[in-house]
Amino acid sequence: MADASIEFKGTSFTLSVLHLNTARLVDIRTYLVTKVAQAPDFFHLVPIVVNIEKIDYSIDYQAVKTLIEEFNFTFVAFTGDVDKEQRALIREQGFSFVNTTKKDTSKKVAIAQETLVTEAKAVATTTESHLYTDKVHHGQIRSGQQIYAKEQNLVIIGSVSAGAEVIADGNIHVYGSLRGRAIAGAKGHHKAQIYCQKLEAELVSINGNYWLSESMEQHWGSPAYIHLTDSELTSSILI
Amino acid sequence: MARIIVVTSGKGGVGKTTSSAAIGLGLALKGHKVVLIDFDIGLRNLDLIMGCERRVVYDFVNVINGESTLNQALIKDKRVSSLSILPASQTRDKDALTKENVGKVLEELGGLYDFIVCDSPAGIEAGAMMALYYADEAIVTTNPEVSSVRDSDRILGMLASRSRRAELGLEPIKEHLLLTRYSPKRVEEGEMLSVDDVKDILSIPLLGVIPESQAVLKASNAGEPVILDTESDAGKAYQDVVDRLLGETIEFRFLVAEKKGIFSRMFGG
Ligand SMILES: Nc1ncnc2c1ncn2[C@@H]1O[C@H](COP(=O)(O)OP(=O)(O)O)[C@@H](O)[C@H]1O
Ligand SMILES: [Mg+2]
Repeated sequence: MADASIEFKGTSFTLSVLHLNTARLVDIRTYLVTKVAQAPDFFHLVPIVVNIEKIDYSIDYQAVKTLIEEFNFTFVAFTGDVDKEQRALIREQGFSFVNTTKKDTSKKVAIAQETLVTEAKAVATTTESHLYTDKVHHGQIRSGQQIYAKEQNLVIIGSVSAGAEVIADGNIHVYGSLRGRAIAGAKGHHKAQIYCQKLEAELVSINGNYWLSESMEQHWGSPAYIHLTDSELTSSILI
Repeated sequence: MARIIVVTSGKGGVGKTTSSAAIGLGLALKGHKVVLIDFDIGLRNLDLIMGCERRVVYDFVNVINGESTLNQALIKDKRVSSLSILPASQTRDKDALTKENVGKVLEELGGLYDFIVCDSPAGIEAGAMMALYYADEAIVTTNPEVSSVRDSDRILGMLASRSRRAELGLEPIKEHLLLTRYSPKRVEEGEMLSVDDVKDILSIPLLGVIPESQAVLKASNAGEPVILDTESDAGKAYQDVVDRLLGETIEFRFLVAEKKGIFSRMFGG
């Protein structure tokens, strides 16, 4: 009886990893502010692992954890290819340390949007082609609702209300009016596009580049699609 | 089984209680057995609008707590015998309502009535969720202004995700749009959203448009639901709503500002 009440099992999860390229808290904060502002709901309570392999010993682990929690992430552990002493030091201070396999670190499981680099321009963009399947939603996405197509394109047969949020790692198609927020290429995919029958969005974002309503003037109220040329958002009319 | 209809909105003061009273009484006048439930625990408004506030002895929370039977708490309407009212409690004990005990009361009422009309409190918290949870149909009451439309949109999201029908994967709640306090003149002047604007944003079927009307305030003060004022625009519009709920196809009226007749124009009337 007592034996069955709990059970430990190993399971692998894909976690977002924040790669620190600096130990300067002000720089980290500045970067987080801009990143989180682009998709606040998307990052809310996201479990996060912090990779510190590029930082020397002078890092204030507690301060990093506090900073991250301040942005409503759920701090999980530190990680990185570091020596035994540093690992021991981290654990001594009461933080978890998780080992990553070599394969993972080289591939960067990190969501590109969350990859922290000091120079904004250097944000890693994935260039490989994405062959995503479609997640299809029938009906309107209402204010306060959020839908995320993880590693998929998102097709909405209906409108997206103001105050609603649609997110996809691939493309977003709205067969209706887009009045809320649409975030395509959420994991770093610069070829992602957003299509809608009526462009009246509060925000559109592709691969971390975003526009607020006022930037959509040119095709406001029209059938349009949004895409990236170099790293500039562009809207074009959908005929 | 009874049709359970919630009158809901998100925003307060848009006309939910006014509409619940008018529609409930209207359905009863058509010969249906109707019970009106006030879910606005702590405020207790419906009994005033219905003019039965002095006859409240026991209330919804008493029934829930087993302090009275349903029969003791139900108030029979003096005008129409097929209409009863289950008043809200004036105590602030909002947490008394749970899915389980509300479900039991609705089940008992469902065997006795054709329509259960639930007057929802404002907001999107527990009280409003409780009022909509068991609904088969929802009358989404909206004023023609942006914040009210936005709140209605939120409630529509809740209806589609947080109701019993959504949780069990049953046929979704049937949604009706009721536009209240509509002033065609102010729409024409660009101060208010038009019927078409609201329909476009919410994209649910239109059940009725109730004009802004002095008759409503008069009716509330008298404790006589405005549908009884058969001369008033608002009374007529609510009658249309009742007929549509009963399956009739009726043209919408009171959508355009009344053009002044030649005499009043000449004499500035
Ligand atoms: N069609 C209408 N014309 C004028 N006043 C109205 C109309 N509908 C409602 N009202 C007024 O609006 C106020 C709020 O109405 P009420 O039904 O209590 O709203 P709710 O239950 O949504 O809070 C009341 O003072 C009521 O008299
Ligand atoms: Mg009310």
